Amino acid sequence: MNKTALLTVEHFYCGYGNTQVIKDLSFQVKAGERFCILGPNGCGKTTLLRALAGVLSWQGNVEADGLTLHMMPPKQRAKRIALMSQFSQAAFDYTVYEAVMLGRYTHRSGSLFSVETSADREAVEDALRRTGVWELRERSVTKLSGGQLQRVFLARTFAQEPQIILLDEPANHLDLRCQAELLESLREWTAARNRCVVGVFHDISLALAFADTALLLEDGRALACGPVGELDGRLLDRLYGMDVHRYMKKMYGRWM
Amino acid sequence: MGTGMKIGLLLLTAFLAILLGVGTGSVYVSPGDIWSIMAERMFAIPLPDHIPTSYSVMVLDMRLPRVLLAFLTGAALALCGAVMQSLLQNPLASPFGLGVSSGAGLGAALVIVLGLSSAGLGTFLLPVVSLGFALAAVFMVLFLSAKLDRGMSNVTVILVGMVLSLFCNAVMSLLATGSPTYAQRIQLWQLGSFSMREWSAVGVLFPATVVVGLYFLRYAGELDVMTFGEEQAQAMGVDLRKVKGRLMTAVAVLTGTAVAFVGIIGFVDLIVPHIVRRLFGAAHRRALPACALLGGSFLVLCDLAARTLTPPHEIPIGSITALLGAPFFLYLFFAGRRES
Repeated sequence: MNKTALLTVEHFYCGYGNTQVIKDLSFQVKAGERFCILGPNGCGKTTLLRALAGVLSWQGNVEADGLTLHMMPPKQRAKRIALMSQFSQAAFDYTVYEAVMLGRYTHRSGSLFSVETSADREAVEDALRRTGVWELRERSVTKLSGGQLQRVFLARTFAQEPQIILLDEPANHLDLRCQAELLESLREWTAARNRCVVGVFHDISLALAFADTALLLEDGRALACGPVGELDGRLLDRLYGMDVHRYMKKMYGRWM
Repeated sequence: MGTGMKIGLLLLTAFLAILLGVGTGSVYVSPGDIWSIMAERMFAIPLPDHIPTSYSVMVLDMRLPRVLLAFLTGAALALCGAVMQSLLQNPLASPFGLGVSSGAGLGAALVIVLGLSSAGLGTFLLPVVSLGFALAAVFMVLFLSAKLDRGMSNVTVILVGMVLSLFCNAVMSLLATGSPTYAQRIQLWQLGSFSMREWSAVGVLFPATVVVGLYFLRYAGELDVMTFGEEQAQAMGVDLRKVKGRLMTAVAVLTGTAVAFVGIIGFVDLIVPHIVRRLFGAAHRRALPACALLGGSFLVLCDLAARTLTPPHEIPIGSITALLGAPFFLYLFFAGRRES
C-alpha cells in the first residue's frame, strides 16, 4: 500500500450543543479507496459526515489532499469535498440540466455577472451521461421518480468535481436495480486518479459489497478500521449487539 | 416559446398595463394623448387643441404616480415573495410571515391613534414610522430565532414570526378599540391603498425596488442551491447563516418600504412567483426579473379595477387581490395535486 492519503482526520471532536457525539476520532482515507462507516443508529456516522461537509462545526485536524480544512472558506472546501445528503429535496421546478448545473456553484465567482463557462457545460454534460440521466435533461425534477432523482443528485455531485464524495445513506428508498446502478457509477468515478468515497450505509451487506475499507464506529469512537476482507466478525457482533454473520447467512441461506 | 420571447411578452404586458392604467379613469385619455401630454411636459411641445390643459395635471401628477406606485409595489412584493419562498424552501411562504406587515401595521396605528405629526417629515411620518416598526419586528423575529435555535431552522423562523405577528396584531386591535374614531382609518390601511398618489413615494420606492432587486439577483445562485435543502447548500459552499440573514434583511427593507406607503396587500407575493415558476422555471436568474414585471402589471390592473368598478367609491386594493388570489390559489393547489 503506497497510496497517498486523501483525507486525514485526527483527534476529531464534534457534537450538538453540549453533547459530544464524535470523540477523539482519527482515521485516514487513501486515494482510490471506497470507505464505509459502519455502526448502529446514534453512533455518530451521519454527524461525522455532516461535520466533514461543513454543516456542523468541529474541533480537531482534518486535511483534504494535504490542505488543512480548518478555516478554509466554504467554497474552497466544497471544491474538494462534496456531500450527497439524504435530506435533499426538489420542491421547485428546475430542469434536470439546471439542477445538475447547480453543482457548478462551487466554481462560480458569485457576482451579478457570472456566466456559465464551457468548462461548466462540459462538466455537466459528462455528469449527466455518467449517471444515465442525459435523456432526462429537459424534464422537471419535480416529475422524477425517487431513483431518477437520486441519480440527478449524484450527477450534481459529480459536476461539482470534488476529490472526496461523502455519501449519507445514498441508497435509501431505492429499489435493488437503482441501488446497484448508483453504486456502480460511484465505483467508476472513484477509479480515476486522486478520488475517494466515504459512505454511511444503513444496510451492512450493501456497505460491505461496495466498500473496500471500513471504519467501525462505536459511540463516537473508532472500534476498528481496515480492509473489509480482514474485518473481525466478532467486532461487528459487538458493534451491533448480535451475531451479524449468522443472521446474514440465515437471511440469504433460506433463498440461495 | 423561447425565454427571450416570453420576457418580451411580459415587457409588452407591463407597458400596456401602465398605459391602460394611466388612460382609464373618470375620463379616458388615449395613448396618443398621453404621449402629447408627456411631450409637452418634457420637451415643451405645445398641447394639441383637443386636450384640455387640466389633463396634464390629472395624467402626470395624479394617475401616473399612482400607476407607477402600484407597479413598483407589485414588483417589490412579488420579488420578496419569490425570495422568501426559496429561503424557506416553501412555495407557500410569504414575506409577511416574518412579521413585516404586523410590525408596519402597529407603527401606522400608533401614528394614526396618537395623532402624531412632524414638521420635518410631513406626510412621510407614517411611512417612516411604520417602516421602522416593520424592520424592528423582523429583527426581533431573527434575533429570537437565532437565540432559540443556533441553526435558525425554517420552522423556528416561521413560528417565531407567527407569534410576534399575533402579538403586534393584538396591540393594534387594542389601539383600534381604545379609539373608535380612528378604527376605520386603521382598518383601511390594513387593506392597502394607492391613493397616496405622490411622486415622492415613487421616488423612494423606485430606487429601493431596483437596488434590492439587483441585490436578490446577485444571490440567484445561492437561492437556486438553497431550494434543494439547506444542508446540501451548506455542503456546496453556501455560507448559509450569512446569506439567509442578508437576504431576509433585504426582504424586510423592501416589503417594509412598500407596505409603509400603501398598506398591506396580500396574495401578490404568493400568486405571481407561482405563475412565473410555471412559465419560466424556477431558476432565479430568469424568475426574479419575470416576477418583477408580472407582479407590477398585476397590481396595476388590480388597482385599475379597484378605482373604476364602483365609482365614485374605491374598493380597497387588498380586497381585490384577495378576491382574485384566494380562488386562483386554491385552483393551482388542487390542479397541482390532481397532476401528481
